[in-house]
Amino acid sequence: MFEIHCPYCEEKKPEIEFAYAGEAHIVRETKADDLSDQEWAEFLFYRDNKRDDHHERWWHQHGCNMFFNAVRNTQTDKFVTTYKMGLNRPKINPSTNNIKAVQNGK
Amino acid sequence: MLFNQDIEIGAALQSGDLSVKLMEEKTRYSLRIKPNELAAFKKASGLKLPAKIGKSTRTTSHTYLCLGPDEWMVITTPENSNELRVKLEKTAAEFIYSYTDVSHRNVGFVLSGKQAASAINIGCPLDLSLDAFPIGKAARTVFENAPIMILRTKTAEFQLECWRSFAPYICGFFDRYETDISAYISE
Amino acid sequence: MENDKNMPYRKSGKGAVIGKKAIGFSFDGTDYQGLEGDTLASALMANGVHLMGRSFKYHRPRGVVGAGSEEPNALVTFDRGTGRVTPNVRATVLEIFEGFVARSQNNWPSLKTDIGAFNNTFSMFFPAGFYNKTFMWPKSFWDKVYEPFIRNMAGLGSAPTEADADVYASVYGHCETLIIGAGPAGIAAALTAVKTGERIILVDENPVFGGSLLSAPNDEIDGIKASDWLDKSVKILENAKNVTLMTRTTAIGYYHDNFIGLAERITDHIPNLKLGVSREKLHRIRAGKVIIAQGAIERPLVFNGNDRPGVMLASAAQTFLNRYGVAVGNTAVLFTSHDSGYAAAFDLADSNVRISLIVDARNEVPKDIQTEAAKRGIEIISAASISKTYGKNRITGVEVYVPSTGEKRKVNCEALLMCGGWTPSLHLWSHSKSSIRWDDNIAAYIPDQPNENAMCAGACNGDFGLRAALQGGNKAAGGRKSYKVHERDFGTGTTFVNLPNYIDASKQKAFVDFQNDATEKDINLAVREGFSSIEHVKRYTTIGMATDQGKTSNLNAMQIASKAIKKTVQQVGLTTFRPPYTPTTYGTIAGYRSGDLFEVERKTPMDGWAQKRGAVYEPVGVWRRARYFPKVGEDMDTAVARECKATRDSLGIFDATTLGKIEVVGPDAAKFMNLMYTNPWVKLGVGRCRYGLMLGEDGYIYDDGVVGRLAENRFHVTTTTGGAPRVFRHMEDYLQTEFSHLDVWLTSTTEQWAVIALNGPNARKLIEPFIEGIDLSPENFPHMAVREGKICGIETRLFRVSFSGELGFEINVPSHYGRAVWEALFEAGKQYDITPYGTEAMHVLRAEKGFIIVGQDTDGTVTPGDAGMVWAVSKKKKDFVGRRSLKRPDLVASGRKQLVGLMTEDPNVVLEEGAQIVADPNQAIPMDMIGHVTSSYWSESLGHSIAMALVMGGFDKEGENIYIPMQGKTHKAKIVKPFFYDPKGERLNVV
Repeated sequence: MFEIHCPYCEEKKPEIEFAYAGEAHIVRETKADDLSDQEWAEFLFYRDNKRDDHHERWWHQHGCNMFFNAVRNTQTDKFVTTYKMGLNRPKINPSTNNIKAVQNGK
Repeated sequence: MLFNQDIEIGAALQSGDLSVKLMEEKTRYSLRIKPNELAAFKKASGLKLPAKIGKSTRTTSHTYLCLGPDEWMVITTPENSNELRVKLEKTAAEFIYSYTDVSHRNVGFVLSGKQAASAINIGCPLDLSLDAFPIGKAARTVFENAPIMILRTKTAEFQLECWRSFAPYICGFFDRYETDISAYISE
Repeated sequence: MENDKNMPYRKSGKGAVIGKKAIGFSFDGTDYQGLEGDTLASALMANGVHLMGRSFKYHRPRGVVGAGSEEPNALVTFDRGTGRVTPNVRATVLEIFEGFVARSQNNWPSLKTDIGAFNNTFSMFFPAGFYNKTFMWPKSFWDKVYEPFIRNMAGLGSAPTEADADVYASVYGHCETLIIGAGPAGIAAALTAVKTGERIILVDENPVFGGSLLSAPNDEIDGIKASDWLDKSVKILENAKNVTLMTRTTAIGYYHDNFIGLAERITDHIPNLKLGVSREKLHRIRAGKVIIAQGAIERPLVFNGNDRPGVMLASAAQTFLNRYGVAVGNTAVLFTSHDSGYAAAFDLADSNVRISLIVDARNEVPKDIQTEAAKRGIEIISAASISKTYGKNRITGVEVYVPSTGEKRKVNCEALLMCGGWTPSLHLWSHSKSSIRWDDNIAAYIPDQPNENAMCAGACNGDFGLRAALQGGNKAAGGRKSYKVHERDFGTGTTFVNLPNYIDASKQKAFVDFQNDATEKDINLAVREGFSSIEHVKRYTTIGMATDQGKTSNLNAMQIASKAIKKTVQQVGLTTFRPPYTPTTYGTIAGYRSGDLFEVERKTPMDGWAQKRGAVYEPVGVWRRARYFPKVGEDMDTAVARECKATRDSLGIFDATTLGKIEVVGPDAAKFMNLMYTNPWVKLGVGRCRYGLMLGEDGYIYDDGVVGRLAENRFHVTTTTGGAPRVFRHMEDYLQTEFSHLDVWLTSTTEQWAVIALNGPNARKLIEPFIEGIDLSPENFPHMAVREGKICGIETRLFRVSFSGELGFEINVPSHYGRAVWEALFEAGKQYDITPYGTEAMHVLRAEKGFIIVGQDTDGTVTPGDAGMVWAVSKKKKDFVGRRSLKRPDLVASGRKQLVGLMTEDPNVVLEEGAQIVADPNQAIPMDMIGHVTSSYWSESLGHSIAMALVMGGFDKEGENIYIPMQGKTHKAKIVKPFFYDPKGERLNVV
């Protein structure tokens, strides 16, 4: 069970309080009528499935009730950072996460 | 009309290292205020709302808990219910905010005794040591499959609230735990 | 303490954990005597009993190999009486007590004469992959012939047939440092960590702390005997307030962010136990730092006949002697390729066990060891091997083979000790996804880079010997202490993948995995057949897949495979370690969460009333709801028909509390509702209600419910019972992310309100006398309106709505008054023959009206158009969730499944819900299925069954016949509009 840092509570809380909420930074198209069916389908259904840092949303369901964003590496399955909803993608300094170390180890 | 919380607590949980008591009738309001209006709202309403998630303020009659960045809960006795409601309605004219009566949504328990923190920890994954969870700290969290809210009121005393239909489930764990601690101690 | 008669192999003055008290126990029906502190294995061997089980595949007789939790062979069934039988427990960890009962398994008719052992005689027919290859064809033989045969012949103990009579516990815990293993490394780490004042947990799977210290009586630490140092250290830790010491506790799994599962065995060793006290406890620990001091497991040597009872690890023999005071035989032979093996032989020799011979596979034996052996008069043959072993149910001798001369020699013995080097225990380290690397010096993997805040100390880190363990433990906890240690040098060794033998390889039985009966031959066969990945070799040979997960076998297997594949061990790789570290009961994993506590069962405030009334319940989500209220002699159909009729004729009362409720409050509440629901909300008047339809962004129906507007800025939203949590999430998600500019807030109020639904022509008459502050007249309180006032003196939100088609009210009162108001209304309702009805009648009443149930008549792929509910979708709104998707090509295509009514040709036939529908019942199978029945009931009001169904192009098929093939008969039905009863809705207008 992860410990996830909630950017609103400013505390690490047990994963069991949270719910995963899909890929982050997918903005709902307000002028949806202008989109072609293909474009709308891409917004609706197409998601990245990267083997890398993944921007994703989590919901602190049994805590402060806030949705927030996280960067989690899908290869190491480690949270790199979490940040409040509405903020831009954070710049990840490769030296601050231990992805490389684990790759070398295996 | 009969006020009936319809919850039974095992006889063994009345005293000793673990006592679990059902709280009597309470008035509870969920308040939602824009964080940037909190200070002005507090001044206008006189409600002692703490500013940070996980903090609480207690007066002799009221308990105020900050549960989210724009979410508070006020708990008081039914005698103060009308006064509180009037205050909330009045302030509503001046502020953009929400208040909702959740008095009967929750039931509250007071857990006390040496085993109070351990009893909560049988189903709740939070660190309840005094350092990590000091007196006055509150949190919405989980107890196994039940969402709960806890507030530490003393070193060995907690208030635990849950939605009413989850209460028998949670009390069932306390009953089992009591059987275990009394057996191990008497061993 | 010695009792030669009862325990001929007990050694007086030995046995660090053994007390004086005699303990009577039973194994396979024979009574024996052991001593306090004994395991079943040590007590049996004290009595000269080595045969403890039969092997998995060949039913070969087996004794103990190890002395601890790594034991692959000696699996027994532990029997504490009805409902308390545990199969496959290792005799080496099972503590005896007065009255203890265990029995052997996988044998018939008895352990000593096992008919299944013919598998052994014909073992050439049972190579790796035998079952896969042989039992493939014909398919029809699987169930009746092959499967039972395999089940009978191969296997471990029998699964218990009774429900578990025991209960279990589970807790969460936290500490700054968790130390796993209380051998010298773990204790040294704890002694250092304790000084920080932080919370320390030290766990060990054994009943007593000490680990290897308990097997090394001659060692000294800082000038005192190791045993005294141990006692002193444990006392310091016991007295420290910040240390939690846990014995009989196994760290079974290591998960994300230093989350560790510890399984504590609380009562298995306690005689005369009372029921109701937890047998085992799962500790779910979050640790700041983890120090793993699991130690290492000695590696068996792989040679012909290495599985005979009495052949065991040298360190196990040493442990049985020093920890339990038991000699594994009066005469023994040591077969080793590592210096450390000699320690066991010398300890046994010093306790008057005759070491007949030491066979060292290496060419050279260190001088000092030779001297020590000579001192004890023990002969060493180097560069030699053991080519076979003798004996049936117990080893009686070995054949030594010297390849350089071809010399063969038979030596008698009661035990054969083997030592093939050591394997650091990397299980937990690997669970944490920390990396490992190959160390050529010890021919084993050792820890490399941590993936968590964790360290390994002592033998599990590849640092062998007492000094290394102490220093390693101290250092892991941040210490810099230097220990003065007197110990026998641990030494070095050589790995032999193939031990020389003159016997043809095909005729040897050199076991690698004892528990799964897999041999060296099997691995070579697997490689010959093209399995070159170690994960495939593992699955083909089943090596490492038994309950011991290959603790003693994996590394041998890997090295044999690497030689066969002709790649280095590193290239071959290591199979994955998976939790749990040792077999763990389901009870422990469930903890307190069994029986009533397995899952929440939510009950409404009126549930107790229904129970008294004899209601039959059904689960709806995690709620339990009254399904119907049978009178004496009534079955469900009769009761439901009566409940429906009473409601339509006069008055029914129904508990609708479980409906989800969300209060939507704020100046932008209407705007928000406009975005979340398909319907328009801005112009809905205060005090009015509207049926709301909610879509997912994909355009499919997500939920529905009646919404009341209590004030300009306040909506009381209801959701389906099961949908409440996801609707709340769905709304919060949009509110916080896409519509965050709106000033509106959501509060779940499901449990704030108890909801009493009254339906029937007399509903208004009943409530009238109880209501204060609400004008109930039809003009001032029309259908689809909501008012606030009082009922029975209690504040209420009173909805005039109907899910039955009758005049209806839904009375919301604060939950803890729900039962009182219900009882008052019920009492007064007797004048109208008020009838309580359950969810089943509710379903019938709504289906008669064609009202849908989301999740029953819809399945996540139904649009408002498919459900015939275009009327609920605003044409004017520029945006709402799901709007754009309603124009997706697939959603406007023809031939979609549409919700229609069905009338069966035979009015008495009630179709099965979920039954498939076909257009032509005479077509060949497989038929073209054009839809399915979603709802189906007997309608007492119509005297005819009714059904709703999703049918391809159903709207255009009105009046056509379709067919529903059901068990035994195909039924014919006509497609109709799904409004069966009072289609004009006139019954709502009762004055």
